[in-house]
Amino acid sequence: MKKKLRIYFPFASNELKRQMAYKGAFYLFIFISLFSSFIQYFLWMAIYGSSGDGILGNLTRNEMIVYVFMVYVTSSMVMITISDWVSTDVVEGMIAMNLIKPMDYRISLISRALGQAIYRFLVPGVFIWIGLEIYKVKVLGMQVTGIVNILLYLLSCIMSFLICVLFDFCFGMVAFFTTYIFGMLMAKEALISFLTGQLIPLSFFPGAVQKVFDFLPFSSMVYTPVMIYLGKYNQSQLGFVLARQAAWVVILYVLGSIIWKQVTKRLVVLGG
Amino acid sequence: MIEVKHVSKEFVSPKKYPGLKGAVKGLFSNEKVVKKAVDDISFSIADGEIVGYIGSNGAGKSTTIKMMTGILKPTQGQCLINGIDPSRARKDNAQNIGVVFGQRTQLWWDLPLSESFTILKEVYNVSDEEYEERMKFLNEVLGLPEFFSSPVRTLSLGQRMRADLGAALLHNPKVLYLDEPTIGLDLVVKDNIRKAIKIINEKYQTTVILTTHDIGDIEELCSRIIIIDEGKKIYDGSLEELKDTYGTRRKVSMEVKKQEKLKGLNLAEKLGASHEECRMEFDEENKILSVTFDKHKLQVPQVMNAVMEVTEVKDIQIQETELAEIVKEIYNHGIDGKAV
Ligand SMILES: Nc1ncnc2c1ncn2[C@@H]1O[C@H](COP(=O)(O)OP(=O)(O)OP(=O)(O)O)[C@@H](O)[C@H]1O
Ligand SMILES: [Mg+2]
Repeated sequence: MKKKLRIYFPFASNELKRQMAYKGAFYLFIFISLFSSFIQYFLWMAIYGSSGDGILGNLTRNEMIVYVFMVYVTSSMVMITISDWVSTDVVEGMIAMNLIKPMDYRISLISRALGQAIYRFLVPGVFIWIGLEIYKVKVLGMQVTGIVNILLYLLSCIMSFLICVLFDFCFGMVAFFTTYIFGMLMAKEALISFLTGQLIPLSFFPGAVQKVFDFLPFSSMVYTPVMIYLGKYNQSQLGFVLARQAAWVVILYVLGSIIWKQVTKRLVVLGG
Repeated sequence: MIEVKHVSKEFVSPKKYPGLKGAVKGLFSNEKVVKKAVDDISFSIADGEIVGYIGSNGAGKSTTIKMMTGILKPTQGQCLINGIDPSRARKDNAQNIGVVFGQRTQLWWDLPLSESFTILKEVYNVSDEEYEERMKFLNEVLGLPEFFSSPVRTLSLGQRMRADLGAALLHNPKVLYLDEPTIGLDLVVKDNIRKAIKIINEKYQTTVILTTHDIGDIEELCSRIIIIDEGKKIYDGSLEELKDTYGTRRKVSMEVKKQEKLKGLNLAEKLGASHEECRMEFDEENKILSVTFDKHKLQVPQVMNAVMEVTEVKDIQIQETELAEIVKEIYNHGIDGKAV
């Protein structure tokens, strides 16, 4: 098994190298996404300021600051888009070229995504994270996040990463059967930032809506690890949300395998 | 040992109608178009053979190769490559084969060639010593160092093809599938690629299955050829035999002194052959009379005599039918009645 996974290592390391090579585009990405985090920050501050209430949607003002920026750190790290790799591979016929090699296409994609996730964790992830912790302690007068929470957060992030890429693999494969990939991508982006809690913490939604979110994989992508980081779950809740994440990893893995089987069966290898 | 047993492949695609109205109609109709690309093909290939798999455009060559490599699943029948069914155990089979699709690269587009080789070394689990040895060999026969550090997308077609062939051979596969490996190459590179294939076959006893539209590839490399047409196998045998059996035409070209004398000469009638069996053509400018005839029906001296009876002949050339002609004939008219 170890040896089997070793063959995918070059995919991760090459993606890491590739990311470093395209630095310009990446800095632009950091700038734009951080910019939107700051807009959110100022918006929330205005909302807290005008509401008079200390707690909104179960979060204090200070917790909201942590939420906004940890959402940024988490999502830039775990939300790796692989569906566009899938579609280019399909369009350019690279899928067939992957089938003639003794390897698993999906694992090679996930490894590539892992390379990207590691890069995003290094720049800018950790820096913003550390900056946030310093700000928290020095300015907001809060406690440093405990080591247990950090470890649980990282564990949850790993599962989030898997949920995201496994979901996106299924998405890319399904999109491949419809002709309108671009429209689907737009819809996905808009829906996901909403359903994952990137835009508004899920605790702001009415109870009934939250119940629905509980049945979707999206809340496990970003909201769960950030809430773990904030220490919002008690022990039994913690066990439940982690188990739910694990369940989604399994479900999406199996679902992806089934879709992949169908796709390879019907694969139209273009031309030649 | 490769065994292909009664393999067929049907492509089912939704029926398309022209125009915008047609697109809407297509959305609601369930009509399907079935295309039988490969129709009940069987053959077996022994270890170390080089087999040319030829046929006209759209005959089903690439489709057969795709089934043998595990990219497509046969609709019916089974391929066994050294006992492994690629549609069942794709990865096991992939470990033992090398594939080059001339029209498409298997290398990573954005990465330097060297990185692609590093990845493939891991993917095929090639040991360091083996890698060293193989690279030395491949560098020699394919001249890879010239562009080893360039990204694949910057390579010229010929360089890319050499790189692809190298990549397919890195793990010393038992079977090598080449789908149009010389397409679009200049004469020198073509020659190098052919040499490389030959050396590899001799040195490692690699079985090679080659599709091509270049008769030169066939003449230089293949001892055996399989011809398919519209998905059906129409010939399977040695190159010699094909030439013997179907290369029945000979051409005698004679430069004549007095062309007026040829008027009214009907060789076919004179020699008691049909028009098909003996055809005349006259090139006015060079005063060359060409006679193409069936070698089983007529002999060269017979033809020459008949012409020399009417006019003096200054120069004579005799040509055997070229393989290209035979193949063209078969593509055009099939193998009529003489099917194997
Ligand atoms: N995915 C597909 N869907 C529908 N029909 C297909 C598909 N792939 C191939 N075909 C059809 O199957 C037939 C055989 O195609 P194939 O690519 O095997 O031909 P070929 O012998 O390789 O031809 P060429 O010499 O032009 O490469 C063609 O008529 C082609 O149109
Ligand atoms: Mg072809």
